[in-house]
Amino acid sequence: MKEDAMKTILSDLNGSSGDIEASAVVSLDGLMMASLLPADVEEDRVAAMSAALLSLGERTAKELARGTLNQVLIQGSEGYTIMTEAGSEAVLTVLAKKDAKLGLIFLDISRAAKALSNLLSGA
Amino acid sequence: MASYKILISGPVGSGKTTAVSTLSDIPVVKTDAKPTDGVAALKDSTTVAMDYGTIDLGDGNKVHLYGTPGQERFKFMWEILVQGSIGLILLINNNHPHPLRELELFLEAFARSIEQIPFSVGITHMDECPRPTIQQYSQLLAAKKHVVPLFSVDARSKEDMNLLVLAMLSMIAPEIALENFKGLTLNAHPHHLRYTKRQRH
Repeated sequence: MKEDAMKTILSDLNGSSGDIEASAVVSLDGLMMASLLPADVEEDRVAAMSAALLSLGERTAKELARGTLNQVLIQGSEGYTIMTEAGSEAVLTVLAKKDAKLGLIFLDISRAAKALSNLLSGA
Repeated sequence: MASYKILISGPVGSGKTTAVSTLSDIPVVKTDAKPTDGVAALKDSTTVAMDYGTIDLGDGNKVHLYGTPGQERFKFMWEILVQGSIGLILLINNNHPHPLRELELFLEAFARSIEQIPFSVGITHMDECPRPTIQQYSQLLAAKKHVVPLFSVDARSKEDMNLLVLAMLSMIAPEIALENFKGLTLNAHPHHLRYTKRQRH
């Protein structure tokens, strides 16, 4: 099943760095496809927010001539939320610690996004 | 020079994006995605963050028009977008299984805002589905102590949408360049709305 395959990719991602705390795959219209999120997180809202932010990011990049969107990054006082396009149908949302080494995380995220994109496009 | 923010909300498929496009003087900023749930059977794109357009009132005065997503999972966007709005327009699709319940849901979701700002209600798709009737909506609103403009509208019709905006504005701010608003003038009393198309010279 695709959901299991997605969860495997997420679980590899979460295990790849101690800085990554949680992750999820969301459809572009804001529905949860697979997630490894803390139990107290409201999945529906996170999914909808990921889709909304990615879409706004896309529009902003386009409006300001920054090309096609790769990623939206939100830095809060307690950590990062990083949303990355995973193929043409999904968003990979990652929660990371506040002192996370971003360069390393970005590598792991882009690897996972690629794997998800391949999985979802059936490649 | 003044600018005003107006919000258009309502359930999925009620015509919000269409309404913003109909009213806007600029190409609308849309954030839409392909639906992957039941909505896919109804339409091939759905708003996931907001729609944005503007209405030029002349003399540098401007209305900033925002449309919300319709699905309840995007409720946080409703809360964000209503901030700073001077008025709200609710669109309800009459061709849904429970349109009255949907109106109630949105009245509840915006309960705090509509204590402070005026709103108007437009019922779309009444041509496809005549029931519930305008009277039933009117009774529902009255039961909740809302005396607001209520019309059957077509979100593609500039005249209809202008009427909804004007009727809503007339409840608070007749000073907002009503005479120059898109060739429509409005002689409005909240209970008795009449509008006349301006003569072309």
